[in-house]
Parts: sequence; C-alpha cells; structure tokens
Amino acid sequence: MMNMSQKSVVGQESSLREKAHQIFDMVKGFAREAEEVETSLIWNIGEYLRFGNNELGQSQWTQSKNLSIRVAKGKRQARATTGRFEKSLIEKTVQKALVEIRTTPEDPDYLPMLGPQKYSGVNRYFPRTLETSSEEKAGHVGHAIGLARKNGLLASGVLGTSMDELWMLNSSGLEASYKGSSGYFSLTMDADNGNQTGYGFSSFADIRELNPDKVSETALERAKLNKNQADFSPGKYDVVIDPYAWSETLFFLTVSASAGYTPDFGMRQYKEGRSYLSGRMGEKIMGDNITIEDDANHPLQTGPAFDGEGYPKSKLTLVENGVLRNVASSRISAHRYSDAKPTGHELPLPNPLGELPTNVVLRGRGQSKSPEELVETLDRGLFVTRFWYIREVEPKTKTVTGMTRDGTFIVEKGEIKRPVKNLRFNQSLLELLSNVEEVSEPVRNSGNFPGASMVNPGVLAKNFNFTSASVF
Amino acid sequence: MSAAKGLGEGLAKLSLSVASRENATYADFRLVHTRDQQVSMVNDNSSSEESTTLGVGVRVLFDGSGWGFADTDETGENSVREVTLKALSLAKGASKVGSKVSFAKEPVHVENWESRLVKDPFEVSVDEKYDVLRESTGRMKDENVVVRRGQLSFTTVEKYFASSEGSRIFQKLTYSGAAVIVAAKGASGLQRRSAQQYMSSGYELIKELNLPEQASELTKDAVALSSAKKCPEGKSDIILSGDQVGLQVHESAGHPIELDRVLGYEANFAGRSFLTPDQLGKLQYGSQHVNIVMDATPEHGSGLGTFGYDDEGVESQRKYAVKDGKFVGYLMSRETAANVGEARSNGCMRAEGYKLPIIRMTNVSLEPGDWDYDELIEDTKNGFLMVTNYGWSIDQKRYNFQFNCEKGYEIHNGSLGDMVRGPGYSGITPEFWNSCDAVCDKKSWVLWGVPNCGKGQPGQVMVTGHGASPSRFRNVRVFGA
Repeated sequence: MMNMSQKSVVGQESSLREKAHQIFDMVKGFAREAEEVETSLIWNIGEYLRFGNNELGQSQWTQSKNLSIRVAKGKRQARATTGRFEKSLIEKTVQKALVEIRTTPEDPDYLPMLGPQKYSGVNRYFPRTLETSSEEKAGHVGHAIGLARKNGLLASGVLGTSMDELWMLNSSGLEASYKGSSGYFSLTMDADNGNQTGYGFSSFADIRELNPDKVSETALERAKLNKNQADFSPGKYDVVIDPYAWSETLFFLTVSASAGYTPDFGMRQYKEGRSYLSGRMGEKIMGDNITIEDDANHPLQTGPAFDGEGYPKSKLTLVENGVLRNVASSRISAHRYSDAKPTGHELPLPNPLGELPTNVVLRGRGQSKSPEELVETLDRGLFVTRFWYIREVEPKTKTVTGMTRDGTFIVEKGEIKRPVKNLRFNQSLLELLSNVEEVSEPVRNSGNFPGASMVNPGVLAKNFNFTSASVF
Repeated sequence: MSAAKGLGEGLAKLSLSVASRENATYADFRLVHTRDQQVSMVNDNSSSEESTTLGVGVRVLFDGSGWGFADTDETGENSVREVTLKALSLAKGASKVGSKVSFAKEPVHVENWESRLVKDPFEVSVDEKYDVLRESTGRMKDENVVVRRGQLSFTTVEKYFASSEGSRIFQKLTYSGAAVIVAAKGASGLQRRSAQQYMSSGYELIKELNLPEQASELTKDAVALSSAKKCPEGKSDIILSGDQVGLQVHESAGHPIELDRVLGYEANFAGRSFLTPDQLGKLQYGSQHVNIVMDATPEHGSGLGTFGYDDEGVESQRKYAVKDGKFVGYLMSRETAANVGEARSNGCMRAEGYKLPIIRMTNVSLEPGDWDYDELIEDTKNGFLMVTNYGWSIDQKRYNFQFNCEKGYEIHNGSLGDMVRGPGYSGITPEFWNSCDAVCDKKSWVLWGVPNCGKGQPGQVMVTGHGASPSRFRNVRVFGA
C-alpha cells in the first residue's frame, strides 16, 4: 500500500530548476539498472473566471505538477509519469519504468539521448499576466456583463490566465527549460436562447496585450447585428473568414482521421504512407499566395523552442507559395531515412505517432488589411465570424464538415447587409486554400480550440461550399 | 483501508473546518487518485506509458450566492488549507455579483462503492498487452494497408468526497478499453476501418473483445473499401449499426439534455440547446420507438457512466430523458435541478480527476426495441446499412448534424448488396428521431463507451456510456465521400 503522508520533495520555496536537478539526481540513483535517464518536470498554474447568464458562476484556480521519467537500456525504453513527488513514490515510478523496459519491444530506431544543446531565447513569460489580481480581471468580466445587460443580452465566456514551466534533463547532460505565460478572453453575448449571438476573442502572453473592451464591443456589435436571420440557400459563395473563426478548421489540416487522428505533417507518417500528403512533395496543393511555416520563435506563438527530446526546433517552411516543400522531422527519421534531417519536431519518446509541427504560422501574400477591410473588398458573399465542430469527411482532399455559429452575415458591395441562419459546410481545405484572394494580418490564436496554437490571418476566399442550413 | 480514503478523510476534515470557520454556506472536498496506462502500436512503432496523479479540489459557496473552486496536487495540510482559502476568496468575489443559489435536497450518504472487476488490468504485464497488439496489428498486413494501429487503455480512479452537509463517500472505479484501426490505400483513396470498446471493467474486457480476430475482419473491409463505389447522394431509408446509434444518441440526445447548457452556462463554448424547459413533457422528440434513459446504476451495465455517487455526492439513478418519443428529462446538478423546480438531482456532476465537477452524461442509452436484426434487414426494401463512425459534427444547439461512417452496404429487397465507401447522412435532430421506425432487440444491444467527451473551460475530458442497438430511420438525406 502506498504511503500518502510523506513530505513532498517539491515545495514552492525554491526555484524549479533546483528542484528539477534534485529530482533528476534522485531518479538517476533509483534507476542504476538503466543506461540512460531523462526527466521532465512540468508545473502549471491557472486562474479562470468563467461566467454565464451574466453571472460569474465558475471561478477556478488550479495548480498541478508532473514528473515524466524516461529510462532506456540497450534499445529498449519506457516512460512513467507521476504527479506525486514523495521520494518513495518517485522511486516507485522509476521502478514501473524499469519493469517496462524489461518487457517492452526493442526499438530498432532507438538513439542515445541527446547531449547539451543551444536554444534561441524567446521570452514568453510575463509575470504580470499571473500577478494581475482576480478583482482586476473580474472587472473586465463585469464590464462585459454590464454592456450585455444594458443591451438586453446575456454574457458568457471565460477570462483565463496561466503559466507553464518545464525543465527537461537527461543523463547525456541535456538541460532544456521553458517558462511561459498565456491567457485568453472568450466572450459570447446572446439572447432568445442563442438565436441572437455575437462572439469576441483575444489571446495573449502578456496581459497588457489584452484589450478587453475591444473583445466586449466586438461581441456586442455582432450580437446586435445578428437578429432576425434570413433563410439562406446553401451553395457556393465567396466568404470572408474572420481570423478568430477558423483555428479549429486549420488544425484539421494537420491531422488525419484516417489513421485515428494522427499528425500529417511529419516525416515518419509521410514515409510510411499514413499521411494524406504522402508522395506529394513538390506538388502544388494550395494557392501560390499561401505559405505555411512552423516557427517556434514567432513572436505570436507559444511553447518551448525545443521538442519532446530536447532538440532545438528549426523554422520550417511546410508549404511555400502553395507547394508542399517540407514535413517536420526528427533524429529518429534522420536515422531511419537517408534524405531526412532532424528539425526538432519529435513528440516525447517513445512516440508511435510521428512528428508534429506545434507552432503553425499561416501567411498569405499581401497580408496588410484588417478583417474589416477584407469585408469591404467582398462584392457579394458571406462574412463568417466563427466556425464550429469541424471533423474530417475525406482525407485525400482534406474535406471537412462543420457549422457556422454566433453570426454569419450577407455582404454586398463591401457592406454587411443582414444575418443568415447558421450553415453547414463540406469543404476541401486544400481547395479553400487554393481559392484565397485576399488575406488580413495574422493574429495569435491560441486557447480558442484546445490543441491548436495557430498564428493565422483572416481570408477572403471564393466558392466556399455550404451544403445545408440549420433552423436558427 | 485504501490510502487514498485515509488521506481524504483527514484532509477533508481540515478543509471543511476552514470553510466553516470562514462562514461558507456550503463546501465540498474531493481527493482523487488516478492511475492510467496506455500501450499502443502504430505500424511498427510502439509505446507504453503509465501515469499517476493525486490532487484535491475544493468547492465553496459563500453568502448563498457566490461559487469558488480551487484545486492542487499538493496534498500537505498547509496546501489544503491554502487551496480552501483560495476557493473561499474566489467565492467571496463572485458573491458580490451573484444571485441566490438554491440546491435540490439530497440525503446524506456515508458509503464505500466499487465498480465490478474480475481481473485488475494493472496486474497484467505490459508484455502480455504488447502481445495482444502485436498479434492484432500483425493480422492487418496487406500490400495495400498503410496504417496498422492498436491501443489498450486502463484507468483506476479512487476518490473520496466529503461535504459540509455530512456526506462521506469513497469510490473506486476501474476502466478498460481498446481500439484497433486499419487503413488501406486503393483506387478510391485511403479507407479506414476500426473497432473500439471501453467499459467500466477489468482486463477481462480485452479478452472478450478478441482484437486479433476483429483486426482480420477489419483489414478485409478496409482493402475492399479502397476500391468500392461511393455511396450515392439522395434520400433513403438507412439502418445504422449499434455503435453508430450510440454516438448519435451521445451527440443529439445526450448533449442537448445537459441542463447547464440548456440554462445558458455553456453558451460561449459547448453552446446551448433546443431542448428548453418549456418543451419538457411536451415536445415529441422522436417516434414512439424512441426511449432514452439516463442510467448510472450498475443494473444498466458496466458502462463508462456507471458509478455509485456523482461528484457532488448524489446517488446514481435511472431516469428517462425521452419516453415513447416525448422529451421528459434532463441531466442535472443539484443547483440546476432546483432552477427548473425538480425535487432532486439525478446525479450527473462529474469531474476529470480533481477538477471542477460539471454536468456530464452518465450512461445515456437508447432502450432496445423488439426487432430481430436479420428480420429488420429483410423488412427493408431499399436503403443503406451504415457501420461505425468516421466523423461527427452538430451545431451548437444540437439541431443540424452530419455523421460519416466507415462502411456501408446497399440494401435491396431485404438483402445486403454491394459495399459502398464513405457513407454519410445528415438531418435535423427531432425530424431524424421522429423518422425512427425500428429499434433492434436486446440480443444486439451493447453498452458502448465514449472515452473522450470534451466540455468546459478549461477543457475537461469525460468518459460516457451509450447503450444502443441497430435502428432504422426513414427517408434520410444520404451521401458518399
């Protein structure tokens, strides 16, 4: 039986680096039977002011830590993770991993752990994001609720702030660390059981980047416009997609349901034929005004500048002017395939899925307009403020389905004319990105859809395929 | 005695006394210890990982009008005192702008409860688990196959709940599950076949699933689909496999009866619902053949939504959501039950680990009908049989849906005909369920598990159960992909 009353070796009185080293030494001591050891210590703190029906109904504060231990011997490796930091339980976690490496299959691709690396510095930690008081943040929420009340609407949403810190150490001398702050303000104002709705969103690393009034005004303005929606015949229409409307949609460009939702832009998937991109290197798959990069150092991106084994992330051009140029790679792929070089996109090992670009930046040529200016450019079509519930329909063309929500508007000669009922679409994402005519400036789009940390613009695209309408 | 229970008892006493001293109107404390294991293979790439977490979550109501919640994985006495004070501080802030909170009454429970278990999955070696996956993915080999994937998942949750009303509940729940996926390339592109099942069960489930045999059949299907014709577009009668009906219930019945979203508390993310309180007892949601229960009791089966007590100490119950096609009930918490005038919550507050409990599905199941499966096929003149979900999407009020399946067959004059690829169907929820004219009987009814239902901000993942059997729907819009 475990002993749960022992004192944890991680307190908050000293730096996490010091604790990470202390734990690493302890793990090494417990894992003498292993030839190599890696530890990752992760700490997260978050505060989320969640509100609905003009009330602050779910105020939450959360704190968690995680120790993930990888041990290796010969060509076998195993991982065990614990949220318990008592010495005896760390030892038990190490023992679990050691038991596993005795029975786990040999990995023909196993490579010795990485030695010390140099990382480019990206400051993503702004203490004031965490230090801003609950009262001040509640004031932003209160302002949104006040505006909603004044206009006969109900405000709902969340203002969340969080901090992540990670220390990765291994027995080859690697030390990699990351500390970042982040937050998002997601706001809906609605009435008539959601028949009238408007949506505003902003995400940030530094809370000074947040303009809560702008988020509130956007949600309010759209909610005021979005009433008495017209019936609208499904079909192909030109669209302006708001930059905050489609991070989930773009996420589905990078994963495939055909393999049980595994990442597509990775070398192992590409070479094994698991990706919809397999065999298409050098092929034009999108319009020549579209470039997609993975750039961990982009100022609007989030997360560490190294991958799941501590390898520095390279800036990678995945799609250049519409042509598939690269997929993300790793040391394993470089070992396995003679034409592959590591790019720093491995997931924590052992990893059966393959590599994943985690810092996608979608850029379009001429990206200087605002989303409002894109609307002004649209002669006749629809302005979409939010897509919802995207899922893959067909992998090769990357056809996905989904709905609009919280405001879809008819635009004529650059002016918003009236709202329409929500529409379902079935649209090839490759075709959509081949039909882009104009793009706006990219925005930080993290926290909007779990798992997708995108930097992306809004677009004006031709012939978007709406296939049915909802009843509201 | 379980160590988690012993630790929970001591810390609960401390936390609840701090809350009481600070004049909390109500407080509850949960300590949750979770152990997870994943063993997986993708082609020849393998991995296994075991993880454990332990933490406490404290929920406080202050001045009858403000909620606060805080959690931590530091389980020392000082940390628990601090996290209780943090929850109180948030509750005090919220009480300044909140309105009066009412609770539906619940008897005080002092109980221990454990889910059914034959073989503890954590007593089975990783090697034996790899053997199952090796044999399963080994049977997927074919020159056209590009994806051979298998995954086994096991979880044990020990949780101790205590409230300022006097309830003291310890529960131990064990879940097991498996998924196998094969994809083949051919003239019609990349085609996937898969099978999965997750239950409140021990390792015996893995034996019962016979994954290697399923893998062989799925591989034949995937290869055949990769040169099959596309499902045509139009209006048609359809028969859905039981697992697909289970997901249809989850998305178009389970989510819209969550009372928090109905009342607007989820409007920003999960959305709202068309099943508003004024429709309760009035709306003909489906045909007379449609009976949907919300049932967390063990008598319903060992589903992912089976437990003794929910995460605010309400005893598991069985209630109808849809009876003879009429919409009659919600998934509730104590607070939302009081909001709509219900005397008692039906116990649907659930949390991922020690996070904040929110309203989640338990086992939301379509009750079996009286049709024999073979007779249902024979009774269908023209239509399509659609099997196992590929993709699912539904609007935020749960009206307009589209589901895509992995494989289909034409039905002609009561017999299955050619296989079709990418079969899909779409509709508007109440119209669709009102078009249901046949539900298969208990022989083909299975309590399916959904292991990954997302909800909440910050997001939480929950496990839910859905009993269902193959069912027929008339004159539905169908298409192929």
